[in-house]
Amino acid sequence: MNKISRRQFLGMTTKAGAATMFAGIFAPSASSMLGLGGVAEAATKKIKPFTFAVLTDAHLYDIADHKFDHILEKAVADVNSIKPRPDFVLYAGDLGQSGKKAELVKGKKILDKLKMPYKIIPGEHDYYLDMGKAWRKLFGDEHWSFNHNGVHFIGMNSILVPDFWTLKKLTPKERMHMMEELECHNCGAWGVGEKQLNWLARDVRRVSPDTPVVIMTHSPLWDYYPRWNFQTYDAPEIREILRKFDKVISIHGHVHQVVYNEIDNMRSCGLLSTSWPWPYPPVELEYPHIIQRRADPGDFEDGLGGHDIALNADFDAIVHWREFSDLLPDNIKKGLKV
Amino acid sequence: MRKVRKTSFTAVASVIVVSGALIITSMAQAKPPRSETQVAQERAALMTAVAKGDDLWHSAKLGNNGLACANCHPDGSASNVHTWPKFQTNLGKVGTLREMINWCIAVPMQGRILESDSEEMIAMEAYATFTHRGVAIAPAKDEQHGAVPVKSGPGYPRH
Repeated sequence: MNKISRRQFLGMTTKAGAATMFAGIFAPSASSMLGLGGVAEAATKKIKPFTFAVLTDAHLYDIADHKFDHILEKAVADVNSIKPRPDFVLYAGDLGQSGKKAELVKGKKILDKLKMPYKIIPGEHDYYLDMGKAWRKLFGDEHWSFNHNGVHFIGMNSILVPDFWTLKKLTPKERMHMMEELECHNCGAWGVGEKQLNWLARDVRRVSPDTPVVIMTHSPLWDYYPRWNFQTYDAPEIREILRKFDKVISIHGHVHQVVYNEIDNMRSCGLLSTSWPWPYPPVELEYPHIIQRRADPGDFEDGLGGHDIALNADFDAIVHWREFSDLLPDNIKKGLKV
Repeated sequence: MRKVRKTSFTAVASVIVVSGALIITSMAQAKPPRSETQVAQERAALMTAVAKGDDLWHSAKLGNNGLACANCHPDGSASNVHTWPKFQTNLGKVGTLREMINWCIAVPMQGRILESDSEEMIAMEAYATFTHRGVAIAPAKDEQHGAVPVKSGPGYPRH
């Protein structure tokens, strides 16, 4: 197994970031890039097989000895027990609940127990108290990319909303409180915004279409249930920028559930949380057999867990929802080929 | 205590009457002397309870560990209001939606339970029920049901 050290892993990311920043000065806007890619016809480039793990949505509170602390700790221990050991871990946002620094510090302390390096993106719960200041200080850039064993990995902040607080003269705490509600009445739809779209276009410009791509966002890159921000408003633009690739695997947090969808070359997997499971919204699922069963409210670990994703040489992925209890239907118990 | 109960009874009665009226109005006018104004007032009274219930449903103050009902039950989803009363394992008996709400407050939220006929509890029941308006009553149906789809806003007329 190709093991990489934390230093190498982070180093790679930093270099990629610097290169794209430099290129960005002369880069065309995202809109002018759209449609240039075309549909890839070549088979995906061979990669060196490896496994990575994913955790998300811990929703830690600034309360000592909170039950969600223990569930995240359990998920971290579970990831550490995976054999062969995942090369790295991705974290898909909402480490904290109310955006407090103490929540994020507590979360980092737990995540630092991972025996492999990890990369993380913010969720809305991490963000709207101080607009991501504490998060950035702890974790760095809100969007990034790196290459690993021939796969191009992308992480983006998909929870940006237009300013709804200034005119209403909301305090940071009031703003955060509104964003904490899944069904916030006045917060608006999330997206990555134009800046990140431009960054993404530049980032993948020189990545050849036969490169396997994995993109991680907090919210789904398709319209699932916009009412709960089970969407990203500029996902169509993201999908268009990534359309040139043979296959893109999208993984996202926020939904706290097993859910799957395919649009064009993108295959999307919703992830389990380590806090609480969410009911399926009142819409028809595209892949109704790729779900989890109802959780028992009396079992605080039901419907929660982590994930490992194993990639073979042909970029066939086996996505394994590592649910703590037994809520997966038989067809995906041993993983889903994506 | 007695006064509270009386108020609660009136609230319950108005919920029942208004729910009935909501369904009947689509078929026939209210029978005189109940005027359209009265029916509108009754509906407004229910919506006040729904709004109060909405606020409580989203409040962490009912619990002691930061959680609100809405953490797990956005828009009242998965409260499965149409299936109660039913045998519920964690209650250990045939119980009601109100008992389940209190169980959620006491166990996952680690809070203090509400009086079953308190204004707060009735408001929460009104909210959860209103988010499932039109869903067929199906006692003990072993299936999770989403709330009525909502495009935006609170999902009901508020103010």
